[in-house]
Amino acid sequence: MPTIKIIDPVTRIEGHMSVEVTIDNGRVVDAYCTGTLFRGFETILNGRDAWDAPVITQRICGVCPVSHATASVLALESIDAKSVPDNARILRNLTLGANYIQSHILHFYFLAARDYIKLLNAAPWAPAWDVDMRIPATDPINGHLPQAIEARRRAHEMGAIFGGRMPMAHTFIPGGFTAVPSQQSIDKYLAQLDWLINFIRSVYIPDVQAIGAVYSDYFSIGGGDKNLFAFGAFDLNAGGTQKLFGRGYIENGQTGAPAALNLNDISESVTHSWYSDSTNNLHPSAGSTVPQNPKSNAYSWLKAPRYTGKPFEAGPLARMWINGDYQRGISVMDRHLARANEALKVAEAMRGWLSSLRIGNPVYSDGTVTSGSGVGLTEAARGALGHWVLASSGKISRYQVITPTCWNASPRDSQNVPGPMEKALIGVTVADANQPVEVLRVIHSYDPCLACAVHVIRPKSRARIVSVKPRY
Amino acid sequence: MQLTRRQFLTLLAYSAAVAGCGGGGSSGGAGQPGTAPPGTSPVISMIPANGGPTVLWLSGAACSGCTVSLANRIAPTDPTDVGDLLINHINLAYHTTLMGAAGDMAVKNLNDLSAGPFILAVEGGIPTAFNGKACVLWSDGGTEVTALSAVRDLASRSMANLCIGTCASFGGVAAASPNPTQIQSVSQATGKSTINIPGCPAHPDWIVLTIAELLAGRTPALDSNGRPTTFFSGESLNVHERCPRRERDEAGTFGLDGRCLQELGCKGPSTQGDCPTRQWNNKTNWCVGANAICLGCTESGFPDRFSPFYRQGGG
Repeated sequence: MPTIKIIDPVTRIEGHMSVEVTIDNGRVVDAYCTGTLFRGFETILNGRDAWDAPVITQRICGVCPVSHATASVLALESIDAKSVPDNARILRNLTLGANYIQSHILHFYFLAARDYIKLLNAAPWAPAWDVDMRIPATDPINGHLPQAIEARRRAHEMGAIFGGRMPMAHTFIPGGFTAVPSQQSIDKYLAQLDWLINFIRSVYIPDVQAIGAVYSDYFSIGGGDKNLFAFGAFDLNAGGTQKLFGRGYIENGQTGAPAALNLNDISESVTHSWYSDSTNNLHPSAGSTVPQNPKSNAYSWLKAPRYTGKPFEAGPLARMWINGDYQRGISVMDRHLARANEALKVAEAMRGWLSSLRIGNPVYSDGTVTSGSGVGLTEAARGALGHWVLASSGKISRYQVITPTCWNASPRDSQNVPGPMEKALIGVTVADANQPVEVLRVIHSYDPCLACAVHVIRPKSRARIVSVKPRY
Repeated sequence: MQLTRRQFLTLLAYSAAVAGCGGGGSSGGAGQPGTAPPGTSPVISMIPANGGPTVLWLSGAACSGCTVSLANRIAPTDPTDVGDLLINHINLAYHTTLMGAAGDMAVKNLNDLSAGPFILAVEGGIPTAFNGKACVLWSDGGTEVTALSAVRDLASRSMANLCIGTCASFGGVAAASPNPTQIQSVSQATGKSTINIPGCPAHPDWIVLTIAELLAGRTPALDSNGRPTTFFSGESLNVHERCPRRERDEAGTFGLDGRCLQELGCKGPSTQGDCPTRQWNNKTNWCVGANAICLGCTESGFPDRFSPFYRQGGG
């Protein structure tokens, strides 16, 4: 008799999400990703003073608030085509970079590693599923936890030097930055950075490589559609025409030069999302957030963003691929390796940015917001992030955000095409349906900013599941 | 094979030596890896736990920022950091971001442990719209459990209810007008009294030291907003009263160092908290220290009470 195994929550993810997986003969044949939290930030922003946006939107995510601050100030500045002083651009990059490092270390050691190695036999690490753990608990990776705790903390301390405090750094304001660099703060920053570069080089990257060597099969698992895209991040000049990570997209895992993104080709489907169908397939600049729950055929609080109507994966692998820094492959383990290598690339670039700060030069020029539409594009640690804003006399009349996890964990769209994570789960072999660690490995490789739940069912049980979770 | 705590400690010492990355000690200075003086490594402080009390940590309409902030704890006194807290001081049996267990195993663990004595910690506000379905936490026996139903159940049985951050304490940013998901504070949603540790995010010391008080068998003295008086109450804990920039010239625009920020919109005069002296991130800095205004993030009514936050462009 088929058994229904609902696994909810899946853990070691930020936020709330569930994934329902259908397993047939030990293989995932279908998957549905569900965002289970709705807060309505876009509605909250309507009618507020434009300068409130960087404050409010940072609270979307406590792991990557700096990315939201960045996207928000860029969006507001674009309304009046304002550029900020070089010092402000660099200080923003340094604070964003510090948060990348803390986020990547947090993800590997605290969210993902437990999928591959048993950690301490005590809460919160235990109890846990016990299947396919190929690396013994005595491995040095396990012993690196205290240094990883220290490294993540130090990365936040480094970010607070110019960000004031972490998380939630509101030194980001339209028109520039509030903190002013001094020789003392630069020296302090550099000391933390050097310590972290050493950690990334001598501990983090080798640990990821070690797991990759033992779980080499995961270089061919969880690839998905292999469509990658990046908005790009870390402006290297005043107009942002040069960036540390470039903008572009590729399809079907193609190598070589990426194609140029046309921002008009982004739209969001809500056919299977708990939002009114009157808002279906809109460009984010015209987007609207009208919740509707219950709604037939809907199963997620996430909208389904698409580029030219197709799903795309965002994240460190996408960035590194588009930029030509990493094109080994697209898989679970490639995502981890690209993420670790990216941490080093960003950290090393930060050394250069630090030396280009000019003590005494301005960090702020007039950031008054008038009327018009704007867009701010950047990259959160876990992928492309966009803010679209419409303002009238300095007040917000429309605000739309597309987070990287909306791209990666999106539900099906109006053409019934699965999102990237849903697609990547299909075909994954599961040894024990009661402990589907393989599913977790795929999910965690995207570093989704959601708490997640996996509902494992077998095909014949589908009717019962529908009655349990009346979504379809 | 899983490690016992004792075996883990041995491994930690070994791994730290191999990696040459033994930690900078509780001072958190910017020393090079491997240069930490003996006896100051966090590894040494990780002595075997003696079975601390069970803490069940739920996330409602949260952003995980308070959890991330908790991980920034570092101090010379116990718990010295988040590893020390988890390994030696509390039994954090449920925390979706940190725990190994998933699915049924996690829910069973929660059910088993909540049958005994436990402390409930809640991060995030509690959505009540859509019958609570704006925030679903887990499934139990095939039934989706909302944050609203979970917190009502657990808060009625816990030894103490801790609100971690402004959202759980007062509603916070996601409850801002028009409060699209009709979020309530834990106290509103449950009718139970709560110990409120606000802040957006909460400072790790506020969280850890409040838990330490409870573990020592003491109930922290609370102000009328349910906040521990030690960190939030009295004239001496008004941010402006304690601000080192209080007597300085006022900044008329942004990006000037060392000035009072009141003209730009600083909420220090309306805000309680020991930020000016405690500072953040291992005493690295604080908002005003980076010329950023105080947002009033520890106060009931944040953010609407203080919005708009800025005088655009300056005073």
